[in-house]
Amino acid sequence: MGEQKHVTLRMDGVSKVFAKVESDEVTHALNTVDLTMASGEFISLVGPSGCGKSTILRLIAGLILPTTGTVTVDGKPVTAPSPQRGMVFQKPTLFPWLTVEKNISFSLRMQHKLKGNEEKVERMLQVIGLEAFRKDYPGQLSGGMAQRVALARSIIDEPDILLPDEPLGALDAFTRMNMQDEILKIWRERWQLAIMVTHDVDEAIYMGTRVIVMEANPGRVIADVPIHIDYPRDRSSAAFLAYRVDILNQLHYAGHKS
Amino acid sequence: MPTQGERYPAGGSGGQLGALTRQQLQDLEKKEKTGAQKLLDVVIVLLPLFCGGIALLEYLLVPDNSMNPQPNTYVGFLLVLAAAYLCYCVFAAGKLPRGERAVYEKVRYKAPLYAALFLLLAFYDYLTLKTGVLTQPFVPCMNSILNIAWSDRAYLIECTLHTLRLLFLGYFIGVAVGLVTGITCGYWERAHYWIDPIIKFLGPIPTATWIPIIMVVVSSLFAGAVFVIALGSWFAVTVASMTGISNVDKDYFEAARTLGASERQLIFQVAIPHAMPSILQGCTQAMSSACVAIMVAEMMGVKAGLGWYMTWAKSWASYDKMFAALFVICFIFTAVTRGVELLKRRLLRWQIGRTA
Repeated sequence: MGEQKHVTLRMDGVSKVFAKVESDEVTHALNTVDLTMASGEFISLVGPSGCGKSTILRLIAGLILPTTGTVTVDGKPVTAPSPQRGMVFQKPTLFPWLTVEKNISFSLRMQHKLKGNEEKVERMLQVIGLEAFRKDYPGQLSGGMAQRVALARSIIDEPDILLPDEPLGALDAFTRMNMQDEILKIWRERWQLAIMVTHDVDEAIYMGTRVIVMEANPGRVIADVPIHIDYPRDRSSAAFLAYRVDILNQLHYAGHKS
Repeated sequence: MPTQGERYPAGGSGGQLGALTRQQLQDLEKKEKTGAQKLLDVVIVLLPLFCGGIALLEYLLVPDNSMNPQPNTYVGFLLVLAAAYLCYCVFAAGKLPRGERAVYEKVRYKAPLYAALFLLLAFYDYLTLKTGVLTQPFVPCMNSILNIAWSDRAYLIECTLHTLRLLFLGYFIGVAVGLVTGITCGYWERAHYWIDPIIKFLGPIPTATWIPIIMVVVSSLFAGAVFVIALGSWFAVTVASMTGISNVDKDYFEAARTLGASERQLIFQVAIPHAMPSILQGCTQAMSSACVAIMVAEMMGVKAGLGWYMTWAKSWASYDKMFAALFVICFIFTAVTRGVELLKRRLLRWQIGRTA
């Protein structure tokens, strides 16, 4: 594994406005967001739907550009997608016409870097534990396996920034908990900057070094909570539950007890 | 990082069922056949031979209603068919002791169809040669069709080659141009803007309509026929690949872009593979439209090929030649369509057994 480069990601006064399709109105998906994040952090973006958390990820990925404000990585503005910012989508979006192996090596092949890097593909297959399925097509995989292949596909080229967008949203509870540990393990190997979108507060606290709480209409950041618990975390510890109550409070979902 | 949560029980690497092949799995899951069922299978497999015997006896024993020179060709034909089937059966049975049931199952599956084919031949012979319900020589019996096909084989082969040459030339030109226009229009809105009206305007015109115009305008009829066949194939492939490309899920493009794909790679590595089922569907359609177009072209203008052979035979009242040509046309079109189908299946392996 190569040496991890230290990067700093800054969002300065970023707003994103979408035009509605059916009327002349616009949607304020994101309203003046200022954030600074750096390598070694695992950021959980949590909030109700429509709060713009996926928009933040897509802006960082370079799939869309901000209406106002700037997104910069080490001072350089983000203008287009790059394999250095690896995105994992909610749907695995594996290419159904390629085998597991070819899906994983997609990024390397696109950049003509596969030659001499075959062992990276091997390693990825090992990491996700799917060596036996290398020649299978994605249509034959279960949801959890497909999402693991998608994860391997986006990290094979060792991105500086990892952007999982509700990667575990479509999985059952057990697969989900296993996958949380797998993602953490991958992140802790190289301590890159990871920014993950989730709608699950427990998942956000379990995984993140920092939980950013957002609210909708217009989409904005309402709290930035650093989580000071050592890994691996215990979901039932008092500290964990305290964070949980705090964040649910911010989102007005805590109930009567608080 | 293997997890306990979800692994296939037969996950290749271990487990009690680890080293299972597909054949063994099928055997395992299938219900054991009873003795009576196995016997019935054997009877069904032998049924085509029995029906072949019926066809042969019908031909030899029932007295003819009309003249039938050189009567032994049909006998030979039936024997060759039956012998071919017998070889197939022996080949399948030979694999059985080694536990390879696949070929035998296939023979068993197809056997009723082959049996029906022999019965159909017997029935046709009865209607034509034996009773004259279908009047000779307008609907000739199989024996005279075979005789004329054999004696006129040199010319038939020449015509067949001419038809195939024309068919493939027109088809491939049409498919190639169709792929380029279809993919361009599916991917770039600007190209779609200019080319779509042309497709909408020219597309619905039946191919046959062009032929009189072509015969006036074009100096060489062969080139004209190529153009007409290509036009039909072009239309089918263009529409299919355009739809295929424009239906590619946006998510695939986004995923590919974050993985470092360039614009060119988005087209060739994402859009085209994704649209492949649709494109190949277009190619199959193009083949049937090409087959129609070539027959029309040969019957209306081109002075060679099987279509020409048929009209020419009709004008000389050689009905047996007409039927011979018809059978050859059936054979080559079936073979060509089957070829396209095989190609399609090979290219779309990833679709087999998809659950999602």
